[in-house]
Amino acid sequence: MPGGAETFHIPIGATREASPGFELKLDGEVVVSARLLPGFDQRRVEIAAEKRGWQEIIDLLADLFGLCPHAHALAYILGVERLAGLEVPPRARAIRMLVAELERVHSHILWFGALAYQAGVDNLFLECWQERQGVLGLLESLSGKRLAYSPNRIGGVNFDLTPGLSADIRRTIDHLDQRARRYLNFLNRDPLLRKRTHGVGVTTRSQAEKLGLVGPTARGSGVLRDIRVDAPYSGYEAFSPRMVLDHAGDLHARLSVRLKEMVQSIELVRRILAGMPDGALVVEDFDGGIPPGETISRVEAPCGELFYFIKSGGGDRPARIKIRTPTQSNLASIPALAPGHHLADVPLLLAGVDPYFSFKDSAAVISGPDGPHPAWTWDDLRSFGIAHYGG
Amino acid sequence: MVDTQKNLLIAERLLEGRAAGFRHPEPFRLDADVEAADLNAAVRMLFNTEWGYLAAITGLDRDRQDGEFEVLYHFCSADAVVTLRLRTGRETQRIPSVTGVIPAAEFFERELSEYFGVRVEGIPGEIRATGDRSHAGKSRQFEG
Repeated sequence: MPGGAETFHIPIGATREASPGFELKLDGEVVVSARLLPGFDQRRVEIAAEKRGWQEIIDLLADLFGLCPHAHALAYILGVERLAGLEVPPRARAIRMLVAELERVHSHILWFGALAYQAGVDNLFLECWQERQGVLGLLESLSGKRLAYSPNRIGGVNFDLTPGLSADIRRTIDHLDQRARRYLNFLNRDPLLRKRTHGVGVTTRSQAEKLGLVGPTARGSGVLRDIRVDAPYSGYEAFSPRMVLDHAGDLHARLSVRLKEMVQSIELVRRILAGMPDGALVVEDFDGGIPPGETISRVEAPCGELFYFIKSGGGDRPARIKIRTPTQSNLASIPALAPGHHLADVPLLLAGVDPYFSFKDSAAVISGPDGPHPAWTWDDLRSFGIAHYGG
Repeated sequence: MVDTQKNLLIAERLLEGRAAGFRHPEPFRLDADVEAADLNAAVRMLFNTEWGYLAAITGLDRDRQDGEFEVLYHFCSADAVVTLRLRTGRETQRIPSVTGVIPAAEFFERELSEYFGVRVEGIPGEIRATGDRSHAGKSRQFEG
């Protein structure tokens, strides 16, 4: 090798979309500074999408974004339909909205369970993930898939809602309504969860706005920001949710907002089912061509605003797709929030913004005054936090 | 709800004198062409006046053969989206960082730098925490 030896840094851990790593600098066990280390996976997804046909991309996005496949497919497809000038039938729009709210319910349950796991409340974690199965079963009945589901096609949806499935949905969400209220009660009473969330990661409204936070993370700091309300799409014009806000700005507020939103999504599902229009599922005279142009499409994914920039050159595939996930916006708050916190709070600080990356394997690089320590995995951080709080 | 057209008009007035031209590509959008020297002034006008938040930064090839490149800074306020469009050359020209105005832009700018090789001047710290820049700007090599 000319010029002598070179050092290569090999990233440890899973490589998935939107999967950044972190570098923390410590003074003792107190965080002095935190940095995000961007990964390449987001760009990989964009390049992969630019190599596929317009319709094929829907399946790619659904396969890659496992927790909110419908939100990604919807953000993409709304932009493509705008470029093509398509007016999607009301029943298709309502089915898309229905799936979006069911997705929000199962994502919020999963997230609450995942956060309980980080705090060492393992029984709650197991219960949440079990309850989530009910929603996944509904999505499987509708689309044939428990995960990577998407009812979408350009110009409408592929699957219809049967009376039997509507009854199943009502039964399941009635049960989940009770569970969500129980979780909220648990959040407010459990001493360990209270200790680990109250006053932790406080973000003021002004800070949240300046950091560009989105979704429940922003609304937990009192920021009025919800794309379903700000820029309604796919039927939300008539089913606008009331924004759930909490002004405390700490981890407890972010938890509370999500659980209340779960109750609200359940109520939205009931209203959508009650007002489900009849009619066609897809635009009939669409020839598949997407004219040249650029557009921007935004939807409210469970974690927050999802932003797509789409450019068509008039060909059979896009010229450019830019994807900005809510995780990217919300993780940007960590460098501002983490300093001053104990290392034991870091797992919940990170989990608190509902990031989408492989929880178990992502690496954290931690360095003290004497230089870098060996890289810690997420599991190392979690165990450290639980031990510190006597869990 | 804030009136979208009124919101876009406010943005256009804020950017007057800092943008070379304006377009409305869609009813809810305003595109403003900016020069590198005016970028931070334009960003300050949208951000410090609390018109909106920086939603994303997009790198866009205009002509891959000539290396002509465009950087899009998307700001959102309710339904309205304002995009500052800055033309540059991939790897040949430098553009200023906007982190002095919006610290949270760091992640987007690192992405721009590492994925596309665009030279962003003024990003705090080294370009990549691993210290290895051998991959910068070469992601397109994997396109096959």
